Amino acid sequence: MPKPDPRGRAGAPALSFFLLLLLLAAAPSQAADSVTVDVGAVYASNEGTSIDPALGTIRGKLRSMFNYTSYRMLDRKRRSLSVGETGEFELPDRRSMRATPLPARGEKVRLSIQISEGPRNLLTTTLGLRRGGMVLVGGPPHQSGVLILIISAE
Amino acid sequence: MDCRTALGKIVAKADGLLTRQDEAELADHLAGCPACAAEDAAIAATGPALRALTGIRAMGKGAALDAMGTRVRAGIGEVRETRRRSSRLARWVWIPAAVALAVSALLFYPAGTDRSPFHPSSFDVAVEDVESDAATVALVDKGEDLPRVIWIIEDAKT
Repeated sequence: MPKPDPRGRAGAPALSFFLLLLLLAAAPSQAADSVTVDVGAVYASNEGTSIDPALGTIRGKLRSMFNYTSYRMLDRKRRSLSVGETGEFELPDRRSMRATPLPARGEKVRLSIQISEGPRNLLTTTLGLRRGGMVLVGGPPHQSGVLILIISAE
Repeated sequence: MDCRTALGKIVAKADGLLTRQDEAELADHLAGCPACAAEDAAIAATGPALRALTGIRAMGKGAALDAMGTRVRAGIGEVRETRRRSSRLARWVWIPAAVALAVSALLFYPAGTDRSPFHPSSFDVAVEDVESDAATVALVDKGEDLPRVIWIIEDAKT
């Protein structure tokens, strides 16, 4: 009778362990009634020509949409919020953004967004987007350029 | 040949160092001298007696040597078993370490910060309402494959 390969015996639990890890990684990390709000603060300017690789696939889109030569991610925050729960995101230059998921149907996400600079309300908006969708909010001056906020919801 | 010379040659004979001529002369002397003949017989018997004695001593220590051999073999076996056990342990010890690492990664992963690049799946965004107390706000839509932009114009700064 052929002897079982001892390496095979050792490999089986290891394979099971990695499969378990893959399952954990693939499992949805958030409950369906919560929304993960991801906010990236990008400094757009004409100082240099570098584009931050952390901007991923939207690098080309930023370049095609705006006239700036340099895009640098200053900060990025991600928060999981339940419907009705407000999350506050600190932004550069004493600005802040408050996001509140609103009730929505299906794969849609509704977000109430408020951006303020101290006591000044710069923007109040309500957005309806798909999970995984993205919107840009730009314009507030920063150093010699502007801030562009990349807001996405999952 | 006198008895003193004969005694020296008897010892040399026992050691195998005597020539044939000396051996013949010694034999002539021994034939006529019973004292030297007795000495020759005694010395000739010494070698076999010593060999027999060594054999007897070795036989007496045989059991002890066997016991020592058994102990050595048992010791070698024990060392091999310990090594096998520790190698079996080393083969599996990484699993709890990996589990602990994975659990701590899941528990302590910084949920507030994510540096993975943006990969949006949709730019389909409905802007239900927009207002500002301190700026002019413009809604920019450059196409389906580009994200919608809300642009804040603060007192003509930008």
